[in-house]
Amino acid sequence: MQAGLSTKNAPSIWVVAPHFLVGTLVFLIATIMLAFNQDALLTYHINGPVLAIVHLLILGWITTVIFGALYQLIPVIMEVKLFSERLAYITLVSLLSGLIIMVLSFLDFRFQLTLGFEIGGSLVFIAMVLFAVNTLKSAAKAEKKSIHGLFIQTSVIYLILTVLMGLFILFNLSYNVLPIPHTTLLVVHSALGLVGWFMMLIIGVASKLMPMFLIVHKTKLAWLKMAFWILNAGILMVTINAFFFSFNFYLNLISLLTILTGLSLFLRFNLDVFTRRLRRRLDIGMKLSVVGLSLLTLSIIAFILLFFNNGAIPLPGGRMEIIFGVLLLYGFFSGLILGQTYKTLPFIIWLFHYQSMVGKAKVPMPADLYKHKLAEFHLYTFIASLVALTTGLAFSIEWLVMIGILLMVITATLYSLNTIGMIFHNKKQLT
Amino acid sequence: MIQKTFNAEETKVRELLKQIPDPEVEVNIVDLGLIYHIRKDDTAKTLEIDMTLSTPGCPVGDTIIQHVQNLLDINYADFSVSVNLIWEPEWTPDFITPEGREQLY
Repeated sequence: MQAGLSTKNAPSIWVVAPHFLVGTLVFLIATIMLAFNQDALLTYHINGPVLAIVHLLILGWITTVIFGALYQLIPVIMEVKLFSERLAYITLVSLLSGLIIMVLSFLDFRFQLTLGFEIGGSLVFIAMVLFAVNTLKSAAKAEKKSIHGLFIQTSVIYLILTVLMGLFILFNLSYNVLPIPHTTLLVVHSALGLVGWFMMLIIGVASKLMPMFLIVHKTKLAWLKMAFWILNAGILMVTINAFFFSFNFYLNLISLLTILTGLSLFLRFNLDVFTRRLRRRLDIGMKLSVVGLSLLTLSIIAFILLFFNNGAIPLPGGRMEIIFGVLLLYGFFSGLILGQTYKTLPFIIWLFHYQSMVGKAKVPMPADLYKHKLAEFHLYTFIASLVALTTGLAFSIEWLVMIGILLMVITATLYSLNTIGMIFHNKKQLT
Repeated sequence: MIQKTFNAEETKVRELLKQIPDPEVEVNIVDLGLIYHIRKDDTAKTLEIDMTLSTPGCPVGDTIIQHVQNLLDINYADFSVSVNLIWEPEWTPDFITPEGREQLY
């Protein structure tokens, strides 16, 4: 009678919690490192520490938390048990050791392409393949097929292509295997990673969870199905244009419009869910998620300005790229992760501590496991940080950029206190 | 079909079950419309509950069911309590009571 219920499918706390712990600490460390390298944001000087920070944020913070959250959410979305918890541990160890080796290589002041990048990159690649195997094997067991599952499975394939392309860029720089311009490979690498992996994954997960959290039925799945094919077509167009038409402007424009149409359909889907929601009062997790999703719109606007900027916008070279990167990494991705942490982590911790006690003793609610004042406060420091960062960058105000970074350090610190507090939750405090 | 009217005994059970919140939305499971039928037989000493969940993937699904079971076992110690999870009819937000809707605001 109760087959398919995901409490029985839920992974062990020991699989999920370490990902959040590692991700949280990396978010804090990378942001503190940025405070010591803030001039890089204004001078667009890509040096070792900057590359270390970017890789820490993308792999150590965003990807690590996504892996952990997905191990918890696969049973919810696909109604199956995770294929292998052991594989999930090996994936985390491989990802972390690869990242550490890469970051140390970037921080080496004699910065050059060394064996460290190749070993680190290969370990990260192994981690991605193992994650893909775990996700796809889990999906294969699912009895019901859904558009959400399709987005997630496709995103995992793009993840592999992204990392393969990244590895190929590294080896091509060292050994010049193929005479392909570096920029061509980098553009395809970015399109595969940002649209194929991150966006497809976020669409798959968010389109299932948002209606669940906000209590909305009969969602517009047709919009999602259209978005799926349109986004895939957009990525394909970017790739073909980069490799065979040397970034033809009109093809670039069509690719951009195609991808924007796909993303607009996703935003339209969310807007529909949001306006029809029965649960009018938003909790802190949803507030942060809504801010994160709104920042996707701002990131898209920044990208459009970047695309059409032929010197028309009076900004120093590379500044628009930095603003886009800040809005995307620190704004959209981080905002969504901050919010969804409060919608996922408390439940796995709560199940671990209190599942056996319900109905027999007074137990707290999952939302009682973290400090709401801290979370509310870091919602405001997060928004203030992004306002300060983007304004400071747009008008080249150095002290405002520094304030923006410090506000993000405060955000990361408060978020860490809540996350670590939940992971090391003491049952006696609340019962 | 979902049971719409309840006798005094069944209403007592419903009121008791209102102690159980859905851990995510923090609205009780009765006002969320998750309780479909209550059958209490004082002669046979049986108490049977048919209930559903808002989604089959509900991460705290069987914890809620366990909560119902434990609470009824304690309060109806001399009854044989059974809690059945059913998926027909599929739960929709239309099942939420006016009181539940108020709590969601």
